[in-house]
Amino acid sequence: MYQYDPIDQALVNERVIQFRNQVDRRINGSLPESEFRPLRLQNGLYLQRHAYMLRVAIPYGLLSSKQLLTLADIADRYDQGYGHFTTRQNIQFNWVELEQTPDILAELAKVEMHAIQTSGNCIRNITSDPFAGVAADEVVDPRPICELLRQWSTLHPEFAFLPRKFKFAINGSTEDRTVLLCHDVGIQLHKDSNGEIVADIYAGGGMGRTPILGNLVHTNLPWQKLPSYLTALLRVYNRFGRRDNLYKARIKILVKALSPEEFTRQVNIEWRQIQESDHNFTPAEWQRVAQHFTKPAYQILPSLDAAAVAAQADTSSRPAFQRWLKRNVRAHQIAGYASVVLSLKPHATQAPGDATATQMRAIANLAQAYSFGELRVTHEQNLVLADVEQSQLFALWCAAKKSNLVLPNIGLLTDIIACPGGDFCSLANAKSLPIAKAIQERFDNLDYLFDLGDLSVNISGCINSCGHHHVGNIGILGVDKDGEEWYQITLGGEQGVNAAIGKVIGPSFGALDIPTVMDDILKVYVKERQSDERFIDTYRRLGIAPFKTAAYLNQKLSTELV
Amino acid sequence: MKTTALIEYRLGHRATFIQNEWTVWGLPSAEDKSDQNTSADLPPAGKVIVPFSWWLEHRDTAEITRRTFHSEIAVWFAGTDDVLAHAAVIEKSSVWPLIAVHFPIFTDGRGYSTAALLRERLNWQGNILAIGDVLIDQLRQMSRVGFDQFSLRADQNQTLALKQFSLYSINLQHAWRDSRSQLIQAAKHDCLEDELQAA
Repeated sequence: MYQYDPIDQALVNERVIQFRNQVDRRINGSLPESEFRPLRLQNGLYLQRHAYMLRVAIPYGLLSSKQLLTLADIADRYDQGYGHFTTRQNIQFNWVELEQTPDILAELAKVEMHAIQTSGNCIRNITSDPFAGVAADEVVDPRPICELLRQWSTLHPEFAFLPRKFKFAINGSTEDRTVLLCHDVGIQLHKDSNGEIVADIYAGGGMGRTPILGNLVHTNLPWQKLPSYLTALLRVYNRFGRRDNLYKARIKILVKALSPEEFTRQVNIEWRQIQESDHNFTPAEWQRVAQHFTKPAYQILPSLDAAAVAAQADTSSRPAFQRWLKRNVRAHQIAGYASVVLSLKPHATQAPGDATATQMRAIANLAQAYSFGELRVTHEQNLVLADVEQSQLFALWCAAKKSNLVLPNIGLLTDIIACPGGDFCSLANAKSLPIAKAIQERFDNLDYLFDLGDLSVNISGCINSCGHHHVGNIGILGVDKDGEEWYQITLGGEQGVNAAIGKVIGPSFGALDIPTVMDDILKVYVKERQSDERFIDTYRRLGIAPFKTAAYLNQKLSTELV
Repeated sequence: MKTTALIEYRLGHRATFIQNEWTVWGLPSAEDKSDQNTSADLPPAGKVIVPFSWWLEHRDTAEITRRTFHSEIAVWFAGTDDVLAHAAVIEKSSVWPLIAVHFPIFTDGRGYSTAALLRERLNWQGNILAIGDVLIDQLRQMSRVGFDQFSLRADQNQTLALKQFSLYSINLQHAWRDSRSQLIQAAKHDCLEDELQAA
């Protein structure tokens, strides 16, 4: 993975000094909260319900064992012994003290990490495919471009005070594991007829109050020109995006208001003026960055078939091991290797995406022992060991089991994506975590979960949509009705190349009703599905009506009984 | 409104305080944050920075022509002014001793693109002065995109202000003041290689 050069290291060190001074001025009263707030947000520091929360960037999801050990130490020393992996490949510490944040940042800088631009109305942490560099369907390894753009966007002087936050996702595979079309800018990398890396640019996607998929605004952009093109695009947004209404300030509103064609025209006019300028990347910069993303020292190994892999387990462990192989292990580019997803979604014992310091240390050691000392964070809030020898899978399973990381539920109903919700977040209308817990408790039977198959459940505690509920097959959104917490259900959302925004089925439900409503919806699927149809396929074939009827049938009955 | 001192940070020089000779005229009052105050009255005597939109309307009057000739009239751009829409006028207007860009509030980032476009596209060579809600924590980024003069909000700490420009020893983007540190380092490296080869 990328390693900082003296320039990168100087930047994070100097950022710590700058922020320490700002915190000192906040504490001695010379910097008022209203003026400190945008500064702390640009360094990932939120003031939540109970305490400050620090969001640390894990750029494009890539993490080393050493870095994870530092995160574990921070969780122990400065927090309450755990951290929360987010849907944007960050980690959040929920219980930090303002006075200690500069020290935390100094600790992070020692392992080439930071919290720069994990919040604020600026270019946020860039996200990408957690299987970058190892995915069997990869066309272009997106990591060098991710890193080049990470550097380019870091402390960008012109775009620190945009109308609203700005999120990039970058994908280089045929499948999309980045929710590309729900980003302010989605960059799809591929190769042109000469074998050169080019980018298709999608703009104006987003979730939140106005969920919408991005529009294709440019095709076959040579990678070197990404900075000049993105400068032009951000300039148009910075100058003309709405600043009068917080809820209409994202780029998607501007693109919609102008029309994608007019927006594209304005960007192109600007870009034509600067497309040959020093904004662009040079081949030397590619060399400098790309050299860090070479393949690890793979052994030449025979490819093992399913039976051979399963045979590693003793007979008593084999059924559980095979379930794990089926759900949590992915094919790899290299013969004899596989990628493993460690589940951070245990049934009801921990919040989705949470890891204790003890688990973080165990995971760091697993990565060291089995996967070249590296791991990746997924936007589904799980962790990936990307380069595991197939012959080591059972040994890894046994070791990871001790830390409660091998629940075979990846992509199943209980692999719930959830924001921290009203338990922590001061923006939330309703709690997310107790809903996730109730669902995981209700649907605890692995046989049933396996029978249901691929099914995404996403929960957001408010319309900011940090839990990506719009793209969940089943989406749950917390809403506030007269001070009470209610939950709206959407169906039919999907991420990936067939990305779709879910539809609201009707009036919202009380928290206690959610597991039953889910059960009613799932029963329709089980009854109506044809052969190996996934939930989303059945939904698309039948439409929303039968699910809606089932969801409200029992609700009406219970109301009548009362 | 006239502040007593400005920070000047010219290309290739250290940042320093200089005596302010200019009065900014036509600024919105504290209560009215929405629009600039373009009263039809004439600006006061002396060196005055007038709203660009006002200047457009009045530039051909005898009074303004005379004062412009004597380098007493400069203009300021509001957040809503589109400098590119007036490119032809601006490129011809080297008569202004300086251009000011107004920040109605420090979180309104339009002024950064305005300054960048004035430098990069309209080739403005004179001073660009930041006015309005100008706080010390934004000085560095302002100075990178094109500003070289700063009228700090009155309550800002002047000693700390001058230190802001040297907080960082490196930059990760190409901008008006300085290009990417990586490019500079690569250029140094190339020079060194050339020298070694020459030797």
